[in-house]
Amino acid sequence: MHDEPDSELELTSALVPLFVIAKGRALPADHEYEHTTLVTAQEGTEAAARTLSPEARAVMDLITDGFLSVAEISGYTRLPLGIVRILLAQMAEDGLLYVRNPAPRAERVDRELLTAVLDGLKTRFGA
Amino acid sequence: MSQDALIWCLVAIAVTAVAAVVALTLRNSALGAKKREAEAALTQRLRYTEGELGRMQGELQRVRDEQDGVIGEAEQAAEESTKAVLKGAARFLQSLAAEQTALLDEIQRKYGGHSVLTDLMDVNHANAQMARKAQGIAVMCGAPLGRRSQPASVYDVVRSAQSQIRNFHRVEIMQPSGIALKASAVAPVALAVAELLDNAASFSQAEAPIEVTFQRVQKNLCIIIDDAGVSMSDEDRQAATALLSGDELPRLSQLGTQPKFGFPVVGLIARQYGFKVDVTGVSRYGGVRAVVLLPEELWTMEETSPPASEVPVSSIRRVEGREQGSARTVHGLPKRGARKSPIASVPSDGGGTASAPRRPAQGSGGGGLGAFQRGTLTGRDLDAPTPEGSEGA
Repeated sequence: MHDEPDSELELTSALVPLFVIAKGRALPADHEYEHTTLVTAQEGTEAAARTLSPEARAVMDLITDGFLSVAEISGYTRLPLGIVRILLAQMAEDGLLYVRNPAPRAERVDRELLTAVLDGLKTRFGA
Repeated sequence: MSQDALIWCLVAIAVTAVAAVVALTLRNSALGAKKREAEAALTQRLRYTEGELGRMQGELQRVRDEQDGVIGEAEQAAEESTKAVLKGAARFLQSLAAEQTALLDEIQRKYGGHSVLTDLMDVNHANAQMARKAQGIAVMCGAPLGRRSQPASVYDVVRSAQSQIRNFHRVEIMQPSGIALKASAVAPVALAVAELLDNAASFSQAEAPIEVTFQRVQKNLCIIIDDAGVSMSDEDRQAATALLSGDELPRLSQLGTQPKFGFPVVGLIARQYGFKVDVTGVSRYGGVRAVVLLPEELWTMEETSPPASEVPVSSIRRVEGREQGSARTVHGLPKRGARKSPIASVPSDGGGTASAPRRPAQGSGGGGLGAFQRGTLTGRDLDAPTPEGSEGA
């Protein structure tokens, strides 16, 4: 067994892993807290905010002044989008947030369906 | 005449008797002398034999001692060589686990907006537990602990410890303000607290909370871990105290088939890094109270520079906010400044993977990012297609 000198191992990973920041919660449903969903802090939640984790507090700090989009929060806090969504979902559950959902997107057309229709047309009328 | 004859007869008998007595006496004394001689010889022989026996016993003892010594040495050698082998393996595992954790960090950042994130976090959790075990074995074998180069708040250090146990959601941590551990203490304290948390979790009911609080006592900082399990017997307490002092290091071979090296590991690192651990207290829930006592050399009251993920954020935001003063619209929406601090919504490392939230379904590159900004702008203007929109933009 190769025995290199007892050099210490340098730990470079994040001290606090994301799953602890997320407190083991799963992501909210896909349609909740999308990139463009806007959130802001409810009035009078400063006291409750004090007991939040540092990450949730950083989010609170960002949104006390007004609406901010989920994507922007993720950008500012440098937290992955999913973690921000989990934090926001929790904060909303605790009644700390006011959430404004984005205008519903036009429904995406199923590409496969279109291809099938195209194929059908092609076979029927020739390309 | 007949009288004379009788007298002579008597005289003769007397003489014979005397002669007999003399003869017998002589013989008796001769026998006595012989007996004494024999006794003396026997005694001497006995003494000699006793001496011999003593010598033999001494010899035997010496041989026994020698044997014990040899066995002890052999055991020691076996222990050392076992340790050496295990140490190599543990170090290997230790560095692999560290590498994997770093990789997972990166992957989690990369797929931070994707639904796979939940699963990645589970993997990371399993990996964190493995890393703890690897660290523990390495420490038991005399290998150095991994180290961190940045000081960190004691809250984050305990959260790091929390991440290394299975039922981490049971751990509730009180938030202290402005207490930071020095860089050199971060990794060892995290590992020690992790082992104590694991112990607390395994010896209490499945869903019972484990509470972590902090207290400053004179120049020491105490990390207090209260569980709601059963308290320990006096015997267990003594054994635990001996192990935690680091004075008594059990041999690897004594650890058994389901090795419990939690306390020995804690004892070792506590001694190595100069802090104390005590588990003799009773928690407020009647379980065990474990106290990690950190002397002032290991911590400071200064605010640490929070991890990279936090600093820029709040500063960017704050600076922006302050500059604009109370720039608000009538509706309470923050006004956007002229875009000189560009890039608000997108992290500056543009193509950068890290936290740039990207929607895979959307077109690639700049178009997607632009769509973000447009999107958020539209969002803001939703209910307020207002005059002040123009001032803002």
